[in-house]
Amino acid sequence: MRITGLETTLFACPPAGRRRTAGAPFAGCVVGLLTDSKLSGIAIGGSDLRVELAALTRQFLKGEDPRAAPALWQRMMDGRARSAGRAKTRAAMALLDLSLWDLKAKANDEPLWKTLGGSRPRVNAVASCSDGTLNDTELVKWFTDLAREFGFKSGMLRPGRDAGTDRRRLGRVRKALSSDAGEPELAIDAAGNWTAEQAIRRAREVERRFDLAWIALAAPRRDATGLKKVSDSVRAALCAGRGLRFPGDFQPHFQERSIDLVQVDIGLNGITGALQLADAAFGFELPVMLCAAPGNIQAQLAGAMPYVMNVEVTAPRPTEELFTTDVRIEDGHAVAGDAPGNGLGLNRAALARAAVQKLPARSSGR
Amino acid sequence: MKITGYRVEQYLMRLDRAIADCNLASGVDLLPGSILFLETDENITGIALGAGAGLDGLFKFIEGADPREVVGLWCRMNDSLHKIGNRGITSFGLSAFDMALWDLKAKIEDAPLWRTLGAREGRVKAYASGLDYCLTDEELFAFYRRMAELGIDSGKLKVGLDLNADMRRLGIMREALSVASRSPALMIDSNEYWSPKQAVRWIRRMEEKFDLIWVEEPARRWDYHGLRQVSRQVKAAVATGENLHSVADVYPLIANRAVDVLNVWTGHSGVTGCLQVARLAQAFDLPVSMMNAQANYMAQVAAAIPNHWMMEVVDPGREHCLKFDNRIEDGFIVLGESPGWGVEVDEKKLKELQAHPPTGRGQFPFPRREGAGRYIVPPAKGEVPW
Repeated sequence: MRITGLETTLFACPPAGRRRTAGAPFAGCVVGLLTDSKLSGIAIGGSDLRVELAALTRQFLKGEDPRAAPALWQRMMDGRARSAGRAKTRAAMALLDLSLWDLKAKANDEPLWKTLGGSRPRVNAVASCSDGTLNDTELVKWFTDLAREFGFKSGMLRPGRDAGTDRRRLGRVRKALSSDAGEPELAIDAAGNWTAEQAIRRAREVERRFDLAWIALAAPRRDATGLKKVSDSVRAALCAGRGLRFPGDFQPHFQERSIDLVQVDIGLNGITGALQLADAAFGFELPVMLCAAPGNIQAQLAGAMPYVMNVEVTAPRPTEELFTTDVRIEDGHAVAGDAPGNGLGLNRAALARAAVQKLPARSSGR
Repeated sequence: MKITGYRVEQYLMRLDRAIADCNLASGVDLLPGSILFLETDENITGIALGAGAGLDGLFKFIEGADPREVVGLWCRMNDSLHKIGNRGITSFGLSAFDMALWDLKAKIEDAPLWRTLGAREGRVKAYASGLDYCLTDEELFAFYRRMAELGIDSGKLKVGLDLNADMRRLGIMREALSVASRSPALMIDSNEYWSPKQAVRWIRRMEEKFDLIWVEEPARRWDYHGLRQVSRQVKAAVATGENLHSVADVYPLIANRAVDVLNVWTGHSGVTGCLQVARLAQAFDLPVSMMNAQANYMAQVAAAIPNHWMMEVVDPGREHCLKFDNRIEDGFIVLGESPGWGVEVDEKKLKELQAHPPTGRGQFPFPRREGAGRYIVPPAKGEVPW
C-alpha cells in the first residue's frame, strides 16, 4: 500500500445544544490520508493545519508504505528538525502519525490497540471539565450528567479565583460524582497559570479539606524546579507533560522527579511519540495519563502502555454527529471495540454541512 | 488465533571458531543452544532463539491468548514475576515467550518483523566484534579484514589483561579495517574486569595512540558511580547494558548519567523490553547498540529503533541448524522479506545435533576472572596464543 495524497476538511459546529462547554464552538480539521487501496487514514485535529499537512505529506509521505508509520514519524522529525517545535508543524505531524497508524491497523483489518500489541483497553476514565467559565450550576450539571450516564468516579476541574471558590466547587463536584461505590477521585488542572509559590499556597489550603489525587500543571510546563518544589510541599501528585513538544522536554522532569504523573498528548506526540514517552516514563516508574482527544481514541493506546493510570475524557461521546468512535465510556472506564483502525468513522453528510473555509477565532478542538 | 502450547529443543553447537573475552582468555568453541517453539491453533509457529527457564510458570499467562496482543501479554508476564523479580534465568524465559510472540505477530501479517515494528527499511549498520581474545594476531587480522571486505568500518576488540598486547592488537584491528575506511571506528571491551580507576589508567594510555569511540563495560554493570567516573575521565563514550535485564535495571544508569551508549539485547525482556529500553534512551538523547545474536536476528528489532547506532556482528559460525534471510552488504545487515524473524529451523539438522552432540572446549557463559575489579592476572603461559 502506498500513500497517494491527502484530503482535509475544516469544520465548525456552533456551541448550541452542546452541554460540554459553555461558549466555544467545536471546530477543527479532519484529515484523510489517501492510498492506492480503498483504505484511507483518518484523524481529527483542533486547528487549521492545512498548509502544514499538505507540505509534510508532499515532502515525506507521498509514495511511502504506511506500515512504516514510526519510521515516517522520525523522518518528519528529522526532516523538520529546525521547525518541528512550532506548534502547528508539530500538531500536523501528530495528525499525520495518527492517520498513518490508522492505515497500519486497517491494513491488518484489526483495531489499533491490537496493532500496537495491546490487550483490549479498559482504562480508568477521568471526567475533565476544561472550561473554567462554567458557573456552579452548570458545573454540577455537567458532572452529574456524566456520572449518571457513564459512571465516572473521577473528575478534574479548572481552579477558581481563590482557594475558597475551589473548595466550594470541589465540594459540589465531589457530591455530583459520589456514588455507592464511594468517594470519587478529585483533581485540579491549573493549566500552568500559577507560579510555584501560588500553587503551594492554593493547594495546601484546598488540601485542608480535600484529598486531591493530582494537580495538573501546577506551574509552567517547563519549570521542573518549580514543579519539584510544589511536589515536595503538597500531598497531591504533580502532573505535567501537556504542551511539551519533544521527548527531550521531559528529561528535566524525569531527572528531577518534578512530576509524579506524566501527561501524554497524542495531539502533539502522535502515537509514535506517545509510545516512546510512555516507555520512558515506565523506565522512571512514573504512571501515565493520556490527554483527551477527539473520539477518545487515546484509549486505544492504553493496552500497549505498561504503566497507564487513566485517560482524560472531555467528551464521552461525539455529540456533533460529525463522526463516530469505537471507544465507549462505561462504568467510568474507556473501552475500545473491534472496529479496524483507530475506530473513527466520518459522517460525510454532516461534515459537509459543517464545513467552513476559516475556523472561528475562539474554538475548542476536543 | 490462539496460543495452544510450546516446546523447547536443547542442543549443543560447535562454533566454527573459538570466542573469548578476558574473563576466560583461552576461549570456548562449544555453546549450549535452545530454541522455543510457540504453537497456535492455526498452523503457524513462533520461534525464539534461546529459551531461558521458568517457562511453565509463565505459559499460563499467555495460553489461549491472541499473539497479536504481545505487549499486553508482556505486561501480564512481567506482573506475574512481581515477587521474584524479572531477573536471572526466569527473565530469559519471559524474553523467549515475548520474542516468539512477536515472531507470530509478524507471521500473521505475513511481514518481516522489521516491517511489523514500523521500520521503513530492513537495514542496520554493522560493526565487527571478534570476541577475539583467543585469536592469534594473524587470525585477528584475518577476521577484521574479512569483515572490512564486507564494508564494515568499525571494530571492537576484547582487552583487559595486558596493555602492550591490547595496544598492539588495536593497531592490527585498525590496519585490517583500513580497507573499509581511512579512519575506522575503534572500540574496546573489558567485560567488567577492571576497576573504574584501572579503566581510566589503561584507557587514557590507549587514547594517547588511538581514537576510541567507545569503551564497553569499563566498570560493573550496576556501578553508576564508577561508570560515570570513567565517562568523565576518558574521551571515549562509555557503553554498557548487555548484562541488564529490563528497563528497571537501566533506569539508575540513565538517571545518574552513567552511560553514553546503551547496549541493548534480547535479554532486556524480549522485543517489548528492548524497545522500552531504547525509547527510554531516546528520551535522554542516547544512542543504543544491539548486541550480537545468532543469525543476526535481532537486526529485525534494531532496524525499527530510530536511535540505533550500529549492531555487533561476531559471526563465529553458530547457525548450523538455522536458515535465515539476511546478509551483510556494504557494511550493513540487510534483512529480507521472509516473515517474522526470517529464521527457519532445520529440524533434521537439529535432531542430528541432538543425537550426536558435538564436543569442544571451554565454559559458557564465561565466569568472572580472578582478580576482577582489584588486580590484574595476566594470561598464564599457553592461555592465549599470542
